[in-house]
Amino acid sequence: MQIEFASLDDSLARFTLSGASPAFANAFRRAMIGEVPTLAIEDVRIYDNTSALFDEMLAHRLGLIPIKTDLSSYSTQEKCTCGGAGCPGCTVTYTLSAEGPRMVSSSDLIPQDPKAVPVYDNVPIVKLIKGQKLVLEAKAILNTGREHAKWQPTLVCGYKNYPAVSISEACDACGMCVEECPRKVLAVRGKKVEVVSGKLSDCSMCKLCEKACMASGIGDEPAIRVAAEADRYIFVVEGDGSLPVKEIMNRALLYVKEQSDELEQQLGEISGDEKK
Amino acid sequence: MIPVRCFTCGKPISTAWEEFRQRREKGEDPKQILTDLHITRYCCRRMLLTHKVIIDELNPYQ
Repeated sequence: MQIEFASLDDSLARFTLSGASPAFANAFRRAMIGEVPTLAIEDVRIYDNTSALFDEMLAHRLGLIPIKTDLSSYSTQEKCTCGGAGCPGCTVTYTLSAEGPRMVSSSDLIPQDPKAVPVYDNVPIVKLIKGQKLVLEAKAILNTGREHAKWQPTLVCGYKNYPAVSISEACDACGMCVEECPRKVLAVRGKKVEVVSGKLSDCSMCKLCEKACMASGIGDEPAIRVAAEADRYIFVVEGDGSLPVKEIMNRALLYVKEQSDELEQQLGEISGDEKK
Repeated sequence: MIPVRCFTCGKPISTAWEEFRQRREKGEDPKQILTDLHITRYCCRRMLLTHKVIIDELNPYQ
């Protein structure tokens, strides 16, 4: 199994995964979305709210703010030594107090741990007019996207099979497929149609080129064929800023590994095979 | 208030709202502003394009 990056930075990764089964590719995708924990505000205690938004609405908006997460210094509540009661090892407390007239934004959230700040400091929370007040305390905990989408570290996270375009000798370079292609993957070169170099991964496998080829009256079989490479995938993973994409991938792969190890062990116990 | 994230993909789009609003009021083409702000997907673009601010109308009624 091999991963080859086309681009990688903190918020976006594009890579091809080769030599993997469809089941593994999907398990990897699902682990990235749903099993990598991040911090998000879960409990809000409102002391004073005379703004135009209801308390619930405010709490909802606070929950959606992405928070920078250092996974080495926090653990989920169920795994924490405090047993879920809420200690500095699993919870971050934020305080917010503001008086109008002004816009309350995510930079007004003052964290107890300076590392766990909101990713963006200009997320608007509520606009206060003169005389309105907002005082609250919020608790952020570590949890996974499986529980609620606010804990999801990824935005776009998906894959497709690597496209394989083959053009047979029957091609007469009529250019019908070139015109039809919505992603501009094809071009006429000499007496044959070719894939523009570097554009193959843009192909969405819509097969409009095959249809156009048939419509040009070439015969019973189209000269161009679009297929999918069975064990090669193009992944696009975009993070929301709470974790760097590389860490999301690492954690997701560790999760898949842990799960399969556990499965292996349990299967061993059932079959009475005590190798491990 | 502008939603914090895009309803569909979850990208935090509210950070771009203030700049988008100011530039649109100056008469710039919304398409160009969104592209400048790196809001590429149509799910996120509609969030800003179709948003209507109503908090100033709600504020007098407590």
